[in-house]
Amino acid sequence: MKKMLLVVRREYLDRVKKKSFLIGTILGPVLMGLLIFAPALIFKLSPDTQTTVTVIDMTGEIYGQMEASLADTLDDGTLKFSLREYPAEETGLEETRRILNIEVEEDAIDGYLVIPADIIGAGKAAFYGKRVGDIKSLEQIESALSNVVIGLRLSARGLDYGEVRGLVKGVDMETMQVTEKGAEKRGGFDFIFMSSFLFIMMLYMTILMWGVAVQRSIIEEKNNRVIEVLLSSLRPEDLLFGKIFGVGAVGLTQYAIWGVFGTIMTAYGLTMGGPVAELAGNLSFATLGFFILYYVLGFLFYATMFAGIGSVCNTDQEAQQMQTPVVLCLVFTILLPMMVIQRPDSTFATVISLIPVFTPIVMFMRINVLMPPVWQIVLSIVMMILAIRFSGKLAARIFRTGILMYGKKPDAREILKWLRRS
Amino acid sequence: MLSIENVTKRYEGHTAVDDLSLMIEPGVIYGLLGPNGAGKTTTIRMTMGIIQPDEGKIEILGEPFSESLKEKIGYLPEERGLYRKMKVLEHLVFLAEIKGLSAKTAVERASHWLERVDLAGWEDKPVEALSKGMQQKIQFISTIIHEPQMVILDEPFTGLDPINTQLLKDVIVEMKDAGRTVILSTHLMDQVEKLCEKICLINRGRKVLEGGLAEIKMRFSKNVVSMRFTGDARELEKHPDVEKISEFGQGLSVTLSEGADPVVMLRHALDCGRVDRFEIGEMSLHDIFIAQVRAEGGDLDEEDAAGSQA
Repeated sequence: MKKMLLVVRREYLDRVKKKSFLIGTILGPVLMGLLIFAPALIFKLSPDTQTTVTVIDMTGEIYGQMEASLADTLDDGTLKFSLREYPAEETGLEETRRILNIEVEEDAIDGYLVIPADIIGAGKAAFYGKRVGDIKSLEQIESALSNVVIGLRLSARGLDYGEVRGLVKGVDMETMQVTEKGAEKRGGFDFIFMSSFLFIMMLYMTILMWGVAVQRSIIEEKNNRVIEVLLSSLRPEDLLFGKIFGVGAVGLTQYAIWGVFGTIMTAYGLTMGGPVAELAGNLSFATLGFFILYYVLGFLFYATMFAGIGSVCNTDQEAQQMQTPVVLCLVFTILLPMMVIQRPDSTFATVISLIPVFTPIVMFMRINVLMPPVWQIVLSIVMMILAIRFSGKLAARIFRTGILMYGKKPDAREILKWLRRS
Repeated sequence: MLSIENVTKRYEGHTAVDDLSLMIEPGVIYGLLGPNGAGKTTTIRMTMGIIQPDEGKIEILGEPFSESLKEKIGYLPEERGLYRKMKVLEHLVFLAEIKGLSAKTAVERASHWLERVDLAGWEDKPVEALSKGMQQKIQFISTIIHEPQMVILDEPFTGLDPINTQLLKDVIVEMKDAGRTVILSTHLMDQVEKLCEKICLINRGRKVLEGGLAEIKMRFSKNVVSMRFTGDARELEKHPDVEKISEFGQGLSVTLSEGADPVVMLRHALDCGRVDRFEIGEMSLHDIFIAQVRAEGGDLDEEDAAGSQA
């Protein structure tokens, strides 16, 4: 036991001190943060400038009202839209547009709007501009124009726009999830799916990443020939499980760092409001606890399998072929939540969440979506522990024999023989 | 100290060690010799409990193998390596700690040994910055840092320059003087000849020869003479006492039949030609080794045959 802890310590420090760990740990959340905040940030950072629009109003009655409804100001107090009416005769439109095209081309104006005379009936107008990607501004212009047109149509029939708007106002349905104790929380498919999926992707990625790290570590051990020196001092099991626990602890450390990082981000997110705050507000310690629990169980289970693979291979290339079935298991597991999320209490969901290969991700998903009965959670944990003990034993047997085999890769028949022996 | 009784280890298709028995007394330097593939490493791995024998019994210090015994044994495997990224001192301390030393003692002894092998100042360098010979010294330190009662060294001299070879030999002799047992597995016969009191020659997993070095050399040497001879060697060979003549550039090595008197041979040689030098010679361990392995029908590869010249 003491010797195993020495291996854990060595393995752990070796990894944590590496630059790649630091980079991976910092880069991970930074990338994730960018993904979440980038749109908002870009929107915020994009310079607020005045949009200059020339309006050719063939009806002669719309421009005035439009100008009134587009009276937003920028941060510095200037108008967001600088509008200018361009008088145009029906016959001169082509000529006018030619002139305005040149103005657009020379950046004298951002664009021009052509309001045809029949807009009330036809409901069609056209905007010409160089930067037609500024959707926000274009939408604003469009809606201002629409409102004016609708208003004109209504008043033509003697109706008041404001009154009609009040009458046709729709209904806003909020989705609330009723949880165990009759408490209510905001939820809904999108919300549950997004928050669960974020965690599931993290579980999947970390289990895979650190599981493969164990495998590589064993292959490395074979190649640098330290193994026999070590085996003259400790039991192969000390070495194997020391490695697995050491690498697993690195994963937990990474989570701890991310946790701190996340808390800071969340604090910032809460002040900002928005989806992040909502997500953070819904996070409970129980969720985090289950997350860590299923990471540990999932990692141990998959790491022992990867360890077995590493023991029989001499190079990473060899291992890559052999690990495919295990990796496919994991990949398959992250596809399952799509099915589980719709009916988290179905027999199908219950059964697969109790199969150790799928448990870490599927059971965590179920807990996140709709808390399953306690006995199912306990059963899943017991099943996982049994599975880990079993795969750990197999891995230890393969490891003991495989670790001293250099050169030839054993075939399946030979590996089975190792398993039966001892 | 170490007793191996009727031990057999079979692998798919061949028997690596075949009914081998050895008794190694405490406080000796014991040479375990044999050509490549003779079963030396397998025997050692079974002694270290790394692999299990199929049959037979191994006892160390009077008890069957157990994990706690590992702390009393030092083992320098033939397949040896170090963690390349680890720092020298850190690495030595780790290897000492898994041998049961406290961190404090480990640091003290590691520093002492680094000084001794001329590697002071390298403590904080990563292992990969060291030359191969330096790394081998680190490995050697890790083998003996816990002051084991028995040390097994599998081909310890490969890759060492003469100065470091001498350093290693000094330490080995010191350990013997301190009453520890050193088992030296090698095919470098001149090292064995200089160091070992007792040897065991194994070939194809079986013991071929065992005993004190001096006694073995006596047994094999009394009927060999070497001479510088000018004349017809074929005439020499006609003498009934001559079993075999090997010609070297500088002279002849004549193997006499058992019980033959070398002086009779000298007279005969003088009758046949001119003799500038005549020596009732010892057979070198190298020759004994080759003769025995060949007599067993073993295959010697270049490395083994050239062993003592290396």
